[in-house]
Amino acid sequence: MADRKSAVRKDDAPGRRRAKALRQRRRPTGILSTLTDLVGAFQPMAVRRLQEEIEDRVDGIPIALNDYGFDRYGFHPETFRKGSLPSALLYRYYFRVENHDIDRVPDGRVLLICNHAGQLPFDGMMLSMSMLLEADPPRVARAMAEYWVSELPFISEMAARMGSMVGTPENCIKMLEAGECVMVFPEGVRGMNKLYSDRYQLQRFGLGFLRLALSTNTPIVPVALVGSEEQNPGLANLESLGRLVGAPAAPITPTFPLLGPLGLLPMPVKYRFYFGEPLHFEGDPSDEDAVIQKHVDVVRKSITDMFARGLAEREGVFR
Amino acid sequence: MEKVLVTGVAGGLGRLVARRLSDRYAVTGVDTSRWKSSPRGIDTHVVDLRKRKFEDVVRTTRPDAVVHMGFVRHFRASDRERHSVNVGGTRLLLDHCVKYGVRHLVVLSSGYVYGAFPENPYQMDEETPLSASRNYPEIRDLVEVDSLVSTNIWRRPELRTSVIRPVSTLGPRVPSMVREYLRQRRVPTVLGFDPMIPFIHENDLAEAMTLAVDHQLQGVFNVVGPGEVPLHTAIEETGGTAWPIPDPPARWLFGRLFRFGMLPYPAGLLDFLKYPVSLDGSRFAEATGFRCKYGLPEIFASIRE
Repeated sequence: MADRKSAVRKDDAPGRRRAKALRQRRRPTGILSTLTDLVGAFQPMAVRRLQEEIEDRVDGIPIALNDYGFDRYGFHPETFRKGSLPSALLYRYYFRVENHDIDRVPDGRVLLICNHAGQLPFDGMMLSMSMLLEADPPRVARAMAEYWVSELPFISEMAARMGSMVGTPENCIKMLEAGECVMVFPEGVRGMNKLYSDRYQLQRFGLGFLRLALSTNTPIVPVALVGSEEQNPGLANLESLGRLVGAPAAPITPTFPLLGPLGLLPMPVKYRFYFGEPLHFEGDPSDEDAVIQKHVDVVRKSITDMFARGLAEREGVFR
Repeated sequence: MEKVLVTGVAGGLGRLVARRLSDRYAVTGVDTSRWKSSPRGIDTHVVDLRKRKFEDVVRTTRPDAVVHMGFVRHFRASDRERHSVNVGGTRLLLDHCVKYGVRHLVVLSSGYVYGAFPENPYQMDEETPLSASRNYPEIRDLVEVDSLVSTNIWRRPELRTSVIRPVSTLGPRVPSMVREYLRQRRVPTVLGFDPMIPFIHENDLAEAMTLAVDHQLQGVFNVVGPGEVPLHTAIEETGGTAWPIPDPPARWLFGRLFRFGMLPYPAGLLDFLKYPVSLDGSRFAEATGFRCKYGLPEIFASIRE
């Protein structure tokens, strides 16, 4: 594994240097630069420090870039370092994320399997920040975006630059074979819109991720996130109404739809990530569901156990 | 010395390939237009693939191998003309090859045959279905030629056939559609989309075609260059200015521009500016040991002259 990393680092050195040169060449001049300087001057010290930290971490990501600073899938560290600041601020000051045993995430290809909750996918955003800010070396956690995301102007472009991929199984296999870190939320929308009464109860898992792990011989790291399941408690889910308007769900929460779209925003709960021991599975990726299900149950059990630990350890939902 | 027949020899790529082949093979070239300064040793004929005279050339030269690049790729010709030359010409050529005992056939197809779709996987391999004809009637002939030749691989195994599907080709001599697109001063793009586009230098592609002849390859092969960049980076690096237009009006506008000859390609190909078509070239690299010599900066610099 160490070989792979050093090889990559050596290879892309000219790429990084060139990208840096381009960055300097395109630095804004005149009024624009004065304005950016002014905004910079009024930034609180903490924000500036966080920005610097992000830059350091992004530079440390072991990844091969071409002459223009992109990887082959459209990931652009330059955009990533700018785009990460809002999520990093949320990470530090809103959710005050805590990580346990993040060093269990191995180098090279790995699948992070995490629970999903809270109406909006802040869990994915925060998990990717954990991997950027706390993992050693820092990693890009690749999200699997729904394929229709690539039909949306701007959003598709931004998603690619920030390192997410068009979420088809083929692409996931390619990413894993290239040694990337991919995060998957096998509960999907069933988890995201689960009811408050179902908190910390894993919904049905899709089996796809395990087949992918088997066919690419990828270790699975189960991740339990404690906190997100209370961030925006679901009181009801009017699925048929959602289907009527073409949405995957129609959640009712204490604040949604009462406060409009703003009502979907989470409460400032404290996020706690627990990373489990890497799990290695062997077998035929095209086995019948019952066989795959047994492996999946091992992953579920690991997450459930970490839930128990996390819930016992915490002193409250918000602190 | 083995004999090689090259169709489309007077085209930009045809000349490059013929020159390379002429070191090792006795090269005969045919094209509908004249290659004025053809080097000595390359025997050229001005014939139409669809005419009797072409069959005469095949009959008299009895080539061991044929490199087929005689296509109409630009959109100045009518649909009917493109179809007739590309599909009709290829069909006749296949018949001639079998009739006159050609042993090896190399056909230049295109990476565009996979089509540009939002769900396209990264680095598509040769097994990916050819979906271009699903949405792009403008390049249906491209797909038809490709499948015509690909089915020939197993229908007539005695004729070793290779189909080469390269990514977007750039260089000073090959007037590819993408080069004409990037050479515009104001380059129309689709607002909010910036797909990764792979490029290869024309010399590298010519080398790949030559390797296919040398190795007598059989099968379908993607040929890729040094990698891919976002469309807007390519435009910037080739000295143009991107001109982003939101999608629905863009489709209408592109159609108008094309009709008045101000745009080198029809509006239907707009999706190629929205969704990525990147290819996996490892099969070809393993079969021939091919490695491209030109990096992305050299490729972009090469079309600015």
